[in-house]
Amino acid sequence: MSGERTTSAFDARRVGDTFEFVTDAVTTQQLVRYAGASDDYNRIHYDQPYAIDAGLGGIVAHGMLTMAFMARAAGEFAGAGGRVTHVAARFTAPVRPGDQVHVTGTVTAVARDGLRGELQCQLSADVAGRVVATGDATLVLSLEPA
Amino acid sequence: MSEIDRTLIGTFSEPFTVEVERGAIRKFADAIGDPNPAYRDADAARALGYDGILAPPTFPTCFRPPKEPPWFATLDRRRVMAGQMSFDYARPIVAGMRLVCRLRFVAVEDKQGSKGSMELLHQALEGRDESGELVFTSGRSTVYRALAQIERRSLA
Repeated sequence: MSGERTTSAFDARRVGDTFEFVTDAVTTQQLVRYAGASDDYNRIHYDQPYAIDAGLGGIVAHGMLTMAFMARAAGEFAGAGGRVTHVAARFTAPVRPGDQVHVTGTVTAVARDGLRGELQCQLSADVAGRVVATGDATLVLSLEPA
Repeated sequence: MSEIDRTLIGTFSEPFTVEVERGAIRKFADAIGDPNPAYRDADAARALGYDGILAPPTFPTCFRPPKEPPWFATLDRRRVMAGQMSFDYARPIVAGMRLVCRLRFVAVEDKQGSKGSMELLHQALEGRDESGELVFTSGRSTVYRALAQIERRSLA
């Protein structure tokens, strides 16, 4: 091969690049579906009197649902040829039915290792400006020409 | 005062096998509202280089031991909340895999939150394929709120 190197999705990425994603409003129905799909039937996620008795002021979304939104934002940023090889989150405040979760991501490191390009990203999720989770992700991107 | 049995730190759950089913992946993807075709359509997933329908990154959250491990079984569910989670992949999880999983009780930390005291229960899940190769690991840190947090707030 000679001449100019074709650019891949990875080559276009720089430290400081950002991405974001806003969910539809979380619904109680979604929490019931998520309880079933994830096999997490803790009643604090769908049973209002129970959640009040638990001192939570009403039902709260699964933290793991918020994390799924964060992973989705990261995965969509990685693109169809990329994938999420690491994702972590820490839950700091409850998400409730009616809340729209806003996920933001920032690329903090870019590395090229032979056949793979790797991005480190910081993640944050908020509801109307109140942070509900923070985390990070590692994305592996294709080095194939886009 | 610790309510979680710390003598069990370092022990494992019984190994359990998870059959990664396409229907379960689809149901999970629907519940999180993620329209990625690779979570639903084997051809779309194969076109991206996967061996079958891909599981979303947080999918192993539904890999639970059939019987709750002894350090978790006695906890008051009202006081259990997700604290921190992580997923690390050696390779992607795809439909059709059989994963042998084990949950390990890693540690307990005492914490003082803004709303009272709590314990942070750290567990680690790993999944291996049938030849024993590691596929993923997942860290689960669960907040266990002190009973006083509930009683005080319920009366408020």
